[in-house]
Amino acid sequence: MTQSKPKNQSSRERFIEFAKNGNILLNRCNKCNNIILETVYYCDKCFSSSFKQISYGGKGTVVTFTIQAVAPEGFEDVESYAWVIFKLDDCDINVSGFLPGISSPSDLPLGSKIKVIDFHEKHGLILQKYQ
Amino acid sequence: MGEKVYVLGAGSTKYGKLNESIIEIALNASRDAIESAGITPRDVKAGYISNVFGVADKQVHMAPVIMSNLGIPDVPGLTIESACGSGSVMFREAFANVSAGFYDCVLALGVEKITHTSTVESTTLFSYCSDFFYEGGNGASFPGLFGSMARAYLATYKATEEDLARVAVKNHENGFLNPKAHVRKKITVEDVLKSPVVASPLKLYDCCPFSDGASAVILCNEDFAKKSGNPYMEVVGSGRGASPASVQSRKDITTIPSTVEAARQAYKMANLSPKDIDFVEVHDCFTIAELIDIEDLGFFPKGSAAQAVREGRTRLNSDITVNPSGGLKSKGHPIGATGVGQVVEVFEQFTNKAGERTVKDAEIAMTHNFGATGASAAVHIFKKIK
Repeated sequence: MTQSKPKNQSSRERFIEFAKNGNILLNRCNKCNNIILETVYYCDKCFSSSFKQISYGGKGTVVTFTIQAVAPEGFEDVESYAWVIFKLDDCDINVSGFLPGISSPSDLPLGSKIKVIDFHEKHGLILQKYQ
Repeated sequence: MGEKVYVLGAGSTKYGKLNESIIEIALNASRDAIESAGITPRDVKAGYISNVFGVADKQVHMAPVIMSNLGIPDVPGLTIESACGSGSVMFREAFANVSAGFYDCVLALGVEKITHTSTVESTTLFSYCSDFFYEGGNGASFPGLFGSMARAYLATYKATEEDLARVAVKNHENGFLNPKAHVRKKITVEDVLKSPVVASPLKLYDCCPFSDGASAVILCNEDFAKKSGNPYMEVVGSGRGASPASVQSRKDITTIPSTVEAARQAYKMANLSPKDIDFVEVHDCFTIAELIDIEDLGFFPKGSAAQAVREGRTRLNSDITVNPSGGLKSKGHPIGATGVGQVVEVFEQFTNKAGERTVKDAEIAMTHNFGATGASAAVHIFKKIK
């Protein structure tokens, strides 16, 4: 779905707004059609800054992940979680996020299906497993 | 290319938990380097300082403070930050300025003090070195970022957690021989595998420690080196590279593009290839990093580093000695100092000061150091002057 660019919002604010609705906001380069994350200011193929924004469904598959014993400040309140890199479906873009409720690597085989469900001020991009 | 550049003197504090302030640690290494070079502070025309977390010991704008306390307040200095790669990136800038003819003699100093902070505080400070919006802000620590790289590597190639452990065992063997190493303790594969998980699949002994410490070298031009009468070594290759800041943005998570590019530039400048290198100090912040490094630097084909380690081909005085100092893993990782500490190790090896960890008949050596998960990197090649 193509979106018009709202005014007076930073790129990260726009990214967060779409993530809160379960989407990942990407940019399609008007010059070469390269697709990049919305937070990047210039196309990394042709260096154009003219884009059409695309809201992508935030669903994908797990590329890699980790479960940490010591979490950084702000994450002490979470019992266990995975930090996950996942590949968006039908798109060659990886995104990373926070997946609560994962305590063992066996809970999350590589290739598991993942979706964006929110963006939390404290925990960032919130993910959820789905079948 | 400009003038030839030489390393004339080198000094380093012990790495570990140090009681002195960050400035005192820096001054101790600087004094040792100046005295090792047989010069006085008056000979130093500029100071290059690498540091990341000075604010944690209540000191930023560090260069003028260090220059003033060396008795040369009129000598210009600057501080450079590039996360864990700060030392080598700073060394490159010092090298470039001598090579360009701006100065005939400079001090290149790296320093860090972090062990006075709690584990959560230091873990948090380190997470600020990531692409925070996508990584630290989503809960990733540095062990976590490298844990994710390790999982991807183990899933892609014929490598196991035991292979990662063997990297740690080898580096602790070397570090045991280094009086200035932070963790001077021999360990076994079983010790590593039984140590607590820090960030799966990485365990405690897969991870380098948080360290305090400083390392310094004196860089100079040919005239200055020859007049000194002291031993010196030549910087024959220098390269810089960059990678996408976030791991998610890399097409291949099992390689670090900045290392590949920095090495390509350094080999080209030196007119050398991997087979010419007698030993290498690589950035082994986590055991997985060493496997990736020795492939990216061209010592082993992609996916074969684990087998090389299994066969003992990276041990002291084997095919290619990797991390004779003990590496970040055992020697320690005071992040602003690490890249300079690698150069100190090469200097000590080439001037017969490495003791039991001496790499026999070594004449060409490489240092490799990167920032964060490899977003920035520098590679240097050195030649022994007989």
